[in-house]
Amino acid sequence: MRGFSGLTKRNVIVFLKDRQSVVFSLLTSIIVLVLYLLFLKGTFVDAIETVLSQQSMLSGRISAGDIDMFANLILVTGILGSAMITVPFNCLTTIVRDRENRVDYDILATPVKRWQIVLSYYLAGAFSSILLNGIILTVALMVIRMQGNLYLSAADICQTYGIVALGSVSATAVFMILVLFFKTSSASGAFFGILSAASGFVIGAYIPISQFSEKVQTVCNIFPASQVTILLRNKLLGGLLGHMDESIGGIDEGMFVSSIKEIFSFQAKIFSRNLEIREMVCYIAVVLMISLVAMTVIYSKNYRKK
Amino acid sequence: MNCQNVRKRKKQNANTKKNKKLKRKDEDQMNALTVKELRKNYREHTAVDGISFAVKEGEFFAFLGENGAGKSTTINMLCTILKKTEGQVKVFDRELGKEDDEIRQKIGIVFQNSVLDGKLSVKENLYTRGAYYGLSKKQIREKLKPFMKRFELEEIWNRSYEKLSGGQRRRVDIIRALLNDPKILFLDEPTTGLDPMSRKIVWDYIEYLRKEKKMTIFLTTHYMEEVRDADHVIVLDKGRIVADDTPVGLKNKYTHTKLLWYTDRSGERDELVRCFDHSYEADHYIVKMPGEESFCITDFLSVNRDAIKDYEIIKGSMDDVFLNLTGRKLGE
Ligand SMILES: Nc1ncnc2c1ncn2[C@@H]1O[C@H](COP(=O)(O)OP(=O)(O)O)[C@@H](O)[C@H]1O
Ligand SMILES: [Mg+2]
Repeated sequence: MRGFSGLTKRNVIVFLKDRQSVVFSLLTSIIVLVLYLLFLKGTFVDAIETVLSQQSMLSGRISAGDIDMFANLILVTGILGSAMITVPFNCLTTIVRDRENRVDYDILATPVKRWQIVLSYYLAGAFSSILLNGIILTVALMVIRMQGNLYLSAADICQTYGIVALGSVSATAVFMILVLFFKTSSASGAFFGILSAASGFVIGAYIPISQFSEKVQTVCNIFPASQVTILLRNKLLGGLLGHMDESIGGIDEGMFVSSIKEIFSFQAKIFSRNLEIREMVCYIAVVLMISLVAMTVIYSKNYRKK
Repeated sequence: MNCQNVRKRKKQNANTKKNKKLKRKDEDQMNALTVKELRKNYREHTAVDGISFAVKEGEFFAFLGENGAGKSTTINMLCTILKKTEGQVKVFDRELGKEDDEIRQKIGIVFQNSVLDGKLSVKENLYTRGAYYGLSKKQIREKLKPFMKRFELEEIWNRSYEKLSGGQRRRVDIIRALLNDPKILFLDEPTTGLDPMSRKIVWDYIEYLRKEKKMTIFLTTHYMEEVRDADHVIVLDKGRIVADDTPVGLKNKYTHTKLLWYTDRSGERDELVRCFDHSYEADHYIVKMPGEESFCITDFLSVNRDAIKDYEIIKGSMDDVFLNLTGRKLGE
């Protein structure tokens, strides 16, 4: 057991100690933040104000502060959503590098079991992602809280951390299978570049997925990461939307909130069908399970002596 | 040679089974390694081609061969990393392929390439690797104590591995390999690419391990001079064993000491060197005598002190061994 935990620890610190690698794995999130400060916030606020202006009875009922807060929280989901893709993948490229440099030989010649080697890589990826995303979430919540009320209960916040954990373990499981196809770290590095660029779009960090065609939306939502981001959005913004609905006082029969939810993708659309929260959680759990089984099968073959 | 081995074994098989069993047990108890007809195929390419040898406990054993001879492949099979295609191997009485976990507890390996993590400090590297063997931090600290001073581990303890010099890295690599108190230490070209100073440090280290720790050492190298002190040398060429002997034995078999005698040729002088393999070139006789420090040379010279005035002795070198065995110079 000590061998297993020692190896897991090694896999974690190999990633975290490489500062450059950590920064690169957060690059998409950093870009999302920078774009937000430059202009994304404006587009989010505009979208909300457009909805407001369509119904004249709503004017003055939603405070500018709440709209600001809404945009800020959308940013947080974008940052976390992309980091939960890029961090696990980048951490798992340790596997590719270890195989390329034959560092795995050093492990294979010790009494550490084959399944422990596989699991240690997996746990290291999931742990690194939970750790980094947990830190991001904590910092983000503190910074945003200083600017106004989040309308989040302690239970909501705990569940948000839970979603971060779910997103991390599911993305890591999917990537465990993917990294096996890379023979060299330059190949996995190139793929990481594509992944970084794509992740922000797939989870809707730049443009809400609802702006895409139905087909594109379906493709995006096949990835559990997109659905995780939608879960995050529901959890983090639920309180604020409830508060907005209260401010309106029911004169629009909830129209405002439902159109906001529509625009900012609070439900995953697979073809024309909208998935409920429960269905999304199930979907993510099923993908996680399938990936874990596939991982066990594929890796036990791969780490057998050749 | 291989053919003969096979034939011999077939004859042995004809002996009574009981007899064979007794013999086998006796052999294995003294052997750190027993390798029989070990083979490794990479698809159609044969990297190790049915080699058989034994290494005694406490022996300093050297595997000599050029790049691509199959040294690393052999070591990686013996260390339970690569799967053998054919053959039987016993490591301290444990059968490779069946009792791999027991074997892994008993072996230490210094790989040809670096396998420690560059970004991690020496301390972190050694602590995580020690944990692979189920050792606690305290146990690891205890184990490392003797190395701290002796091998100047203290000063590099907190430095990241990638910032160390080549020699310092090699030192840490070796200490890494010793964490589980192995009974046999495999060193795959430990000095390749090192400067002479570092090479000497590594060398002193190996010296210490075999003399004071009585550890069995399995070294591979492509430097001829490094096998001089070995107890037992195998020369590997293209996956096959071409010689299996002591260094002295190899030199006696495959090298000559040459006496260059600068003088004019005459019948009388021809008579003098008659009983040796000799020739005459330009202005000197070349007299070949078997072995390195040939005693017959000194005898021959002292007897013929008056006749032989102007001469030169060229000692047979280990490099000649390889040249004579394979027809190629080492490193070409
Ligand atoms: N993974 C591999 N796949 C195919 N061929 C290999 C592989 N590893 C080594 N070889 C080949 O096997 C031969 C022996 O290699 P190696 O054991 O590394 O030699 P050495 O360590 O003596 O330099 C070489 O011809 C090499 O090209
Ligand atoms: Mg080699």
